Amino acid sequence: MSGDLTYPDATQLAVPFFIAAILAELLWIALKKRGGRYETRDAVTSLIMGAGSVAEGLLLGFIAWGFLMMLWQITPLDMGTSLWAVLACFVLDDLRYYWVHRLGHRVRWVWASHVNHHSSQHYNLTTALRQTWTGTFTFMMVVKAPMVLLGFHPALVLFCGGLNLIYQFWIHTEAIDRLPRWFEAVMNTPSHHRAHHGRNARYLDCNYAGVFIVWDKMFGTFVPEQDHDRPDFGLVHNIATFNPLRVAFHEWAGIFKDMTQPGLTWKQRLLYAFAPPGYSHDGSRETTAGIKAGHLARHPEDAGTPGFGG
Amino acid sequence: MPLELLLVLVAGGIAAIAAILHLTGRSARTVLTAESAKRAWLRHCPGDTVHHVLPAATGQAALISAHSGAGLVWAFGADTAARPLHGAAISERSGGLHIRFNDFSAPGVSVGLSGAERARWQTVIAGSGGTA
Repeated sequence: MSGDLTYPDATQLAVPFFIAAILAELLWIALKKRGGRYETRDAVTSLIMGAGSVAEGLLLGFIAWGFLMMLWQITPLDMGTSLWAVLACFVLDDLRYYWVHRLGHRVRWVWASHVNHHSSQHYNLTTALRQTWTGTFTFMMVVKAPMVLLGFHPALVLFCGGLNLIYQFWIHTEAIDRLPRWFEAVMNTPSHHRAHHGRNARYLDCNYAGVFIVWDKMFGTFVPEQDHDRPDFGLVHNIATFNPLRVAFHEWAGIFKDMTQPGLTWKQRLLYAFAPPGYSHDGSRETTAGIKAGHLARHPEDAGTPGFGG
Repeated sequence: MPLELLLVLVAGGIAAIAAILHLTGRSARTVLTAESAKRAWLRHCPGDTVHHVLPAATGQAALISAHSGAGLVWAFGADTAARPLHGAAISERSGGLHIRFNDFSAPGVSVGLSGAERARWQTVIAGSGGTA
């Protein structure tokens, strides 16, 4: 058994690369006068969120690690550490990422953690680092359980998760338009992920992929970026703060406020925590379905096009 | 990676990037006109109908009269933010109005207004059913 296996923390090792790539993107934008936008406070907020996310991992990572190691003790399977095992783990982890990410947009409890990643109105390499501080509290580590029970060591599972995040760093850019067709067909790319970050009705809840866009194509959530409808980055209801604490906790505060309203049934209180974002007991807010329906009422010509049933 | 080195890299990287962005003019705040404020409101609230826009002379914010009610759109870095004024607490400040939203993600904004502008804003807000 590979019981005392260790892998490097890929995300931490990538920090110098992240800084260099941000400076390179900034230089590119300055020289070419295109390919994205930077704003000081927005970028600094994103970078502080990234640093805080690493700190959260250092402080609370033991919870997920302890849970996965407990599973490792009980599984009779061991896939080992061969190259094939690492590749299989990477692909399975990407499938795991797809579903966690999808839940992150469809269950408000998980969205409360993930929302901060979408809270910038910019889309550049610093946006990639605008990561959650509260991931542990979503308990999404349970989605890693099947991989450990299948015999992938927790260290390998976490290593592959780190590689997945590093892959996703470079796709947060407007500096790259589209890549060769074969690459766009299989891999997640800047174009596909720009659509994911769009707050336009067309792009809500699409392109959840981490590395392989094929998951979205398999599960019916793929929407290609449209040249005539460029993604408008940010949230449906954009936040108005650069305060990292508010960025990190605003949706949790919203859940608490909604759940503690007087006069609600217990079912309504639970739905405020676990229904899709936009749920309201009195219909005063809109979920993705309502927003898309409203858009089609105003723009019936979009019916049947990508993102609207096309 | 040793924690000390990670801390130096992260702190140094953030400081360097912030300095470069600021020194290359990327801290400038957007300036709102009546037309851009209307566009910004409709971006935040698609499907709404804007009846009237009253921008502050500074271009920092604009008061919106819309089908959905009164609202405020304001410069948020290089971008904009917008919120309805229903339920907001509006108080006079020297040099303008302070608007506090009952919203953890939009704590509040101080809008610089001349005396005459402030009076006009207060009249419009009161006329829309808000409190000023």
